[in-house]
Amino acid sequence: MGVVLRNLQKVVPLRRARLRRDVDTLRHILGIQKFDLGIICVDNQKMQQINHIYRKKNTPTDVLSFPFYEDLRPGKLPCPLHRDELNLGDIFLGVEFVMKQCQEESLDLHGALTVVTAHGICHLLGYRHETEEEWTEMQQRENYILSEYSRLTGRHLDPLMKRCSQDR
Amino acid sequence: MLKSVVRAVGAAARLSSASTSAARVLPLSYPALRSPSSAVTRPFTRSLWMLNNNGASSGYRPKLFSSKVLSPSMSCGCGGLHTEGDKAFGDFLSDEIKEEKKIQKNKSLPKVSGGWELEMNGTEAKLTRSVSGEKIAVTFNINNSIPPNFEEEVEQTQQKSAEEEPEIVSTPNFVVEVTKQAAKHSLVFDCHFPEDEISHGEGEEESDIFAIREVSFQPQGDSEWKETSYTLNTDSLDWALYDHLMDFLADRGVDNTFADELMELSTAIEHQEYIKFLEDLQGFVKCN
Repeated sequence: MGVVLRNLQKVVPLRRARLRRDVDTLRHILGIQKFDLGIICVDNQKMQQINHIYRKKNTPTDVLSFPFYEDLRPGKLPCPLHRDELNLGDIFLGVEFVMKQCQEESLDLHGALTVVTAHGICHLLGYRHETEEEWTEMQQRENYILSEYSRLTGRHLDPLMKRCSQDR
Repeated sequence: MLKSVVRAVGAAARLSSASTSAARVLPLSYPALRSPSSAVTRPFTRSLWMLNNNGASSGYRPKLFSSKVLSPSMSCGCGGLHTEGDKAFGDFLSDEIKEEKKIQKNKSLPKVSGGWELEMNGTEAKLTRSVSGEKIAVTFNINNSIPPNFEEEVEQTQQKSAEEEPEIVSTPNFVVEVTKQAAKHSLVFDCHFPEDEISHGEGEEESDIFAIREVSFQPQGDSEWKETSYTLNTDSLDWALYDHLMDFLADRGVDNTFADELMELSTAIEHQEYIKFLEDLQGFVKCN
């Protein structure tokens, strides 16, 4: 199947083809092309609702990941036995939230969405940032992904882990 | 018939009309007379099932099958049949029209932002705009445009609160026709609102606000829909191609915002036409 892309919001004008191409580049870097992945773009209202339901945090945010495999060791790809297990899970992108950040910091929206998606994919692959150790491990992975992205596309992107708090 | 009409009507016919119309069926046991306040508390506006417990079992019933049918009690000289049932029907319609007008948000139709011009032909609406020499036309028909899952939503809402009335929303299939000056053919997109396909039980499955179902080239200015033109079905399409098609539409003003505004416009037209139909029906029944 590949990447299932859904745009459920009307606040941010998205370029679907660009987003898909960027997500495909990330999948290529991580060697996860054979796995399905859901990318769902939502506005602040929907993001807040999901954040409240699943994390008891009643605020919008930039990204929420819902892994298909919940106990993965970071960096170890799952070994599915059946075709329908070739699935990493879903990433909800708070595109309105990201757009506002971009406006404040004069950043390119699709560049920022790529960074946020890379962060989300890391979570689907078992990376966490609840401890200092986990945080460092995830940051290193993100740095690697984005440096590879820059090498392949010529577009430089800064990792999310530099900017964000650990509360993600 | 215009090609766009064929597409819009054909696509609309795919929806189940049976359950859609069920929301508006008037139960035979419904009493002709009722207190005006009862209508205010009803959970949704175009069905009167909830009013059945307000005296329907014990109250007056029109004697539709009595011998009076064959010998009308009233005559206006029009040569038509007039029964007590017709009178009750007329009174009922009068109440219904009053209620529908009360909940009508606005007499004038909402505007679609982005310089679209609206043209009406019966129940068919056509929105057009020009962008740098390209002409974009969006056609939809409000007939059969209310999704059949409407009744399910009603039940769910009833459980939550009697005050939370579900709104009837018209989600018609629509056809986008992009015409370039130099080209011989128009590119035609058959689009729809996929709400009717998602599961309402879990609410986990998410669909785009609108989706492209088919794409084909049609000869410009040709009134007939050419079935022999290759039709690209998006069911088994490469998703990257699908995304480019969606971006192509977005560049021409057909995006999620437009789809949302189209829904609002269609809902307003549908309601307007419904009231007009009730008024025509009342005139026909009353014969005046």
